[in-house]
Amino acid sequence: MKRRTGRMLSLALSAGMALGCGAVPAMAESTEASGDYDLTLYSIQTTDPEFKDWLSDVESGTGLKINVIAAPTDSDTRQQKVTTMLSTGDSSVDIIEINDEMSTTFKNSGWLEGLNDTVMTDDVRDKFAKGYVDQMITNVDGQVIGVPSYTGYLAFWVNQQIMDEVGIKSIDTKDDFMKYMEAVSGNGRFGYGGSWEKTYVFNEIAQFVNMFGGDYYDWTNPHNKEAMEFLHELVQKGYTSLDQLPDKYEQMNPKAIDGKYGCWFMWGTGTDYANADMLGDDKIHMAMVPSFAEDGSRSIFTDSWSYVLNAASEHKDAAVKFLQYMTGKDGMEASYKYFDRYPARADLAEEIVPDSNPVKKMYAEYAKECNVQGRPMLPQTMEFISAMGTIFQSYMRDEISIDDFLSQAQGYVEEYQ
Amino acid sequence: MYRSKSKAMALLPWLLVLPVVILRAFTTIYPVTKTIRDSFFDIRLLAGKNVFCGFENYIRMFHDPKVLISIQFTVIFVFVSMFFHITLGVLLAMALNMKFKGQRFLRTIVLIPWAMPSVVAGMAAKWAFNNDYGLINDLIRRIVPSFQYNWLIYRGSARAAVIAVDLWKDLPFFAILVLSNLQFISGDLYEAAKVDGASARQCFTKITLPLIAKGVATLCIPFTLWRLTSFDLVYSMTSGGPGEDTALIAYRITTEAFTNLNIGYASAMAVVLFLIMMAFSLINMRITGSKKFET
Repeated sequence: MKRRTGRMLSLALSAGMALGCGAVPAMAESTEASGDYDLTLYSIQTTDPEFKDWLSDVESGTGLKINVIAAPTDSDTRQQKVTTMLSTGDSSVDIIEINDEMSTTFKNSGWLEGLNDTVMTDDVRDKFAKGYVDQMITNVDGQVIGVPSYTGYLAFWVNQQIMDEVGIKSIDTKDDFMKYMEAVSGNGRFGYGGSWEKTYVFNEIAQFVNMFGGDYYDWTNPHNKEAMEFLHELVQKGYTSLDQLPDKYEQMNPKAIDGKYGCWFMWGTGTDYANADMLGDDKIHMAMVPSFAEDGSRSIFTDSWSYVLNAASEHKDAAVKFLQYMTGKDGMEASYKYFDRYPARADLAEEIVPDSNPVKKMYAEYAKECNVQGRPMLPQTMEFISAMGTIFQSYMRDEISIDDFLSQAQGYVEEYQ
Repeated sequence: MYRSKSKAMALLPWLLVLPVVILRAFTTIYPVTKTIRDSFFDIRLLAGKNVFCGFENYIRMFHDPKVLISIQFTVIFVFVSMFFHITLGVLLAMALNMKFKGQRFLRTIVLIPWAMPSVVAGMAAKWAFNNDYGLINDLIRRIVPSFQYNWLIYRGSARAAVIAVDLWKDLPFFAILVLSNLQFISGDLYEAAKVDGASARQCFTKITLPLIAKGVATLCIPFTLWRLTSFDLVYSMTSGGPGEDTALIAYRITTEAFTNLNIGYASAMAVVLFLIMMAFSLINMRITGSKKFET
């Protein structure tokens, strides 16, 4: 009897360990003591040293007392936490900062409040990049579900010291790019560097497909094949390294700073490079995206993190007030001043960002010369991204052929579309 | 009178554990039954789907290459890791059982990796195995200066790296528990054996091993179950990569449940894992309860 009871208890313990997925995970811990707050913000910026100053500005600008919960810095964990909060109707958070992956996933779920009548009214909406708003943060009912907090590009970065060393002045075409690859690569240095972890590499796959004039949703397109074979060739010739397969940005950036890469694609305005004293015209800087397509066109992706309103929120009036502030000059100026975030509204960027900022000039050139697009995403975003990343890694490691890669990629597009 | 008193006494333990049983019913039986129920439904939160699908999730699971790779690696992970837990754990325990200067200090510091949270260990390991900045290759390059290898980009080496970190982290704890078994063996037995002319090897095989066998076998139950449900190390170290090569089944379940929001499919996988664990526990308990282990 005792043994049987012991067995039952052991089995129950095993079950508890094995079957965690029925339980509702605990809410993230607040960074501040609980008190009388007007709203709760789930923010990705809390690790920024100037976060408190930003918060103080926003609180005095809105008249709201804001409780802040720190979002995890790891992208997978963050997405899981936000997903859990929204899908369970958790009302303890009112405003959440989400990226394009999450907005694509959640915008049609009903978990986010539509903002057309309160925040993103016609006159306000028109001041943001129309393509981005329509493509990334508008749901099937035509409701805009977020307020973009900045404008970012997947910019092309070069190391000027390396360019000077090999005597190449610009990388404008595919031929220039290949000459640069050949000149730079060798002795532990690579012409091109990337972040090829399976959930990160999606950015570069899509970027190269666009540069070759392909279509990410159609893997029968010959330009897609050309783009993938091109990346494979970079690996085969030693112009880029398979070592970057597990790398996220936190692994890629130190390598870029240490001069291991000649060029790469990266989001943001180069804060990591500036912190390492490697940002500047004579060091690491943004450059125009080279043109690989037959028609000479250039392509670039834009992204943003958006503030969204949790549909389960019990403080919607305060949340709307916060969001309205974020669409205006004061909100955008605070983000630029404290976080270096380039204003999402072009009219305000002109006012807020000084002409001396090189990012302003480069972003203006990107906007003028490139075909600017939101990244190609499908509703089951992370599943799709991860699946594509997995087969990309397999192809780069020669585990599958290009034809296998293309047919599997097309299969995933059809499965997740 | 005596009989009714003894009946009441027999009920007393059950009364005392009742609060815990109720708590367990809520925290364990409810999630288990809910998970079993969900495994027969196609629940995809993002698609707004929640329909009965019978055994479809179970059938799909055994045709899904991602799940098959996860099962394959989980089997490898559990067997290889447990093999080294037992062999190296016993050796380490014996080393810690020897009398030498600094023994107490060594016994204390040997537990440091175990005290470290798995996520922290995983993140540190990701850097440690990096070809450019990693501690492992740096150490190897002191002997072979031209050594270049990125452990986390090939299936075999990435899997080996995950198993190595798991061993680095949990082996000391296993060894300390084996050590506690060793300390129950009376020194008289060894002395008597020596008087009878037994060699060191004979002492080990005829005295030490038989006397710690039951303890080691008992330890294998929780340690194997922990390996089967291991998730955090892979999550923070490789994210299941390269490709899906290091995605343990618990990691796959978590990804399906909380990233992809395919609750029904994840539940089906969890049920299968539950059954495997149950079967494994029963086999283990049968083995440890057998007469072979009676001392």
